[in-house]
Amino acid sequence: MTLTLVAFLLFVLKAFVVVMFAMNVAVILTWADRRQGAMIQDRVGPNRAVAWIPTKVAQAIAVGPALAVIAAVGFVVLKLEPPSEELGQRAMLFSQLGILFTWLTGVVIAGKVQNRGVTNSFDAWLYSLGDPRRIFYGGLFAHFLALFVGLALNDSAFGPQVRAIGYGGGAGLLILSVLFGALYAAISINDEPRVGLRLAGLLHPAADGLKTIFKEDFIPPNADKFLHSLAPFISFFPALVVMAVIPFGDTLCFSLGKDGGLGSLLTTVPRDGVCTEAAIRLQVVDLNVGLLYFFALAGTGIVGAALAGWASDNKYSLLGGVRAASQMVSYEVTMGLTLVGAVMVYGTLRVDQMIEWQSQNAWGIFVQPAAFFLFFTASVAESKRIPFDIPEGESEIVAGYFTEYAGMKFAMFFFAEYIAVVTSAGLMSAIFLGGWDLPFLYRDGLHVSIGETVIFEQALPHLAIVLIGALGFVLKTLTLCWLQLMIRWTLPRFRYDQLMRLGWRKLLPASLANVLITGVIVMAIVQGGPAVGKFMSLVADYTKAFVALAGIGGFIYFIVFLVKPVHKRKSLASSSAEFAAAAGGTRSARMSA
Amino acid sequence: MSNQSTTLGPNKVTGVTVARPNRTASVQTYIPEVAKGLGITMKHFFQNTKEMVFGQRNDPVTEGIEDGINCVSYPEQKRPYPARSRGVHRLTQRDDGSPRCVACLCCSTACPAQCIHIEAAEYPEGDPRRGYERFPQRFVIDELRCIFCGFCVEACPCDAIRMDTGIHAAPYDSREQFIFEKDVLMGFPGRDGSHLTANPRHEPGEGSHPGLDRDKH
Repeated sequence: MTLTLVAFLLFVLKAFVVVMFAMNVAVILTWADRRQGAMIQDRVGPNRAVAWIPTKVAQAIAVGPALAVIAAVGFVVLKLEPPSEELGQRAMLFSQLGILFTWLTGVVIAGKVQNRGVTNSFDAWLYSLGDPRRIFYGGLFAHFLALFVGLALNDSAFGPQVRAIGYGGGAGLLILSVLFGALYAAISINDEPRVGLRLAGLLHPAADGLKTIFKEDFIPPNADKFLHSLAPFISFFPALVVMAVIPFGDTLCFSLGKDGGLGSLLTTVPRDGVCTEAAIRLQVVDLNVGLLYFFALAGTGIVGAALAGWASDNKYSLLGGVRAASQMVSYEVTMGLTLVGAVMVYGTLRVDQMIEWQSQNAWGIFVQPAAFFLFFTASVAESKRIPFDIPEGESEIVAGYFTEYAGMKFAMFFFAEYIAVVTSAGLMSAIFLGGWDLPFLYRDGLHVSIGETVIFEQALPHLAIVLIGALGFVLKTLTLCWLQLMIRWTLPRFRYDQLMRLGWRKLLPASLANVLITGVIVMAIVQGGPAVGKFMSLVADYTKAFVALAGIGGFIYFIVFLVKPVHKRKSLASSSAEFAAAAGGTRSARMSA
Repeated sequence: MSNQSTTLGPNKVTGVTVARPNRTASVQTYIPEVAKGLGITMKHFFQNTKEMVFGQRNDPVTEGIEDGINCVSYPEQKRPYPARSRGVHRLTQRDDGSPRCVACLCCSTACPAQCIHIEAAEYPEGDPRRGYERFPQRFVIDELRCIFCGFCVEACPCDAIRMDTGIHAAPYDSREQFIFEKDVLMGFPGRDGSHLTANPRHEPGEGSHPGLDRDKH
């Protein structure tokens, strides 16, 4: 492989994207961690950072993206004339998107109206519809109706008309709803002198980051100055670079269209079409050792913690460093051994091929359920987070190995921990949750089928599939990060002996047993012949159906939960309540986004 | 076993043996209990986040009887003090805006913390109030010394000093800022926004004023 300039620039771009993803998510996690803890206890948490922007600018921010979306849709509809065989899928896509944005806009505005009351005639009309859930149910009904009408009439005599209606009508609906939502938001803030940009409190981590940069960088007089300054980098760097082997999306193909170039992104790729030329792998480096690279670098992080503890010349730091080293070494063993089972099943060490296997068969969590839980536990321990935060144990040894650090160096240890959370979540979503694979979504489109029975098929453009896949990977990673934060707010810290006992006497034997059982089952399936293989692929299809149904059901349940109307009773039983009611309620502390 | 008495120590204190906690299989295996705990955490997280983002949070004071926790997010939210709480003092005013205080020194005498300082003065010659009452040339309360016992309010015969402002004495930067002079004390309104009191008073010189016996003889 020759390294051309384009390939080099692409490599730099991908590395930039991945590093930015890991670091940004980590910075957001440092804040989200505190914010979630506050939310669980019904406090507001760090939310005070606000940037005031003039109303005109805020209106432009609201309307600008909408205009961009409209321009993009208009360009696709008017300029990119699709081949007649792809008109059907384009119509399906646009009609579904149009319906989605219409009900989404309706539900958001209805929720707003419910909170702040009716202010104009549109609000009054929306309010007269009643419960906002009705808009959502209506939207779901429209989704299914459009789907079945499109499927039923696509091949009939009315086919061309239906396709044209779906294409034009869907695009029109999309443009109208996006424009209406943006204009509504712009008009509703028209009377305010200025608009506070809080981003749900997301400016807070930015302010914290700025603060840490300008803080004093204190080095204890008796510390080993060089090693003391080196340690944060040693612990920060490996945590960051392990993301390099994790693919965040399917390969983007540019060469499949008749003329190549950007137009080919909108065509459909054959199902098993692995393109080699003019392809961009959405992965920073394509290493054939894959997982081993992850373990090699994750193991290096131990050195940083141990070095920090030793170089600080503080007995608490030293204790913390020793604890960190012993804990991470112990759990690294379990981490490695749990993945042996997965490697045996997938037959490869490359993460992208593992995802490939999972997209053809079933997700790793169904193939290796025990390994998933073991790996999850071990990776929480590996990132030194609650309930495994013994190396820092603030109630025992001040702050453990980073007791003697301040400012940005302290922040680097802190971020390294959170980046370890992000990278381990990314690795887990790649190995156990299918990475960019979503159930029934293949390279050429949606194929819902159980065994031989095909329930639903829909070809989709290449770019849409890759983007949905990348989005799915990000969502899975964020969900796993969030789960780790939830564990932090639920469980108390282990004692040191409990930690060691859990690691060596429970997780390690369990992971060895997992390897043994996996080996037996893999051998049985290989020896079983085609009948067993067929049965297994049927089971795999059922797991996909389960994931898809659980995902859709969870989404519907979540939206219903969000738009459920709230009924409240006022009780003015005390004089302070009467004073509060006279003042129009206690001044609200809300998380204004 | 739990009712078995044992003697503990030389004083023969009898105690009851507490039974070991019943560790069921689900507790021993740890994972179901972790899942249960996670479920509870997530339930609270989703519910509270949704209410906070959508501004549907219960008003912690007026809607505090609803289910769940109702935290007052101080200082964004503050619970108003009840009607009879004793806040920062105020000097009530007459209809013409002058202080009701007649400088009788009852409050400063009653004050256990000795935080009230009054310098009394006579009204000028010809003033209808001269001879009946005096007025405070200076009226100073050291709010740092005050113990908010309310004795001054009880001692006042003219309803001239009140503690119904509902204001919490704020933490200022220096001691001087806690010395409240007469104009400051007269500037605070009551919780109802009024500078007056609800108690009627007959001013000297008005027809309804009974006057003193020495005027009649």
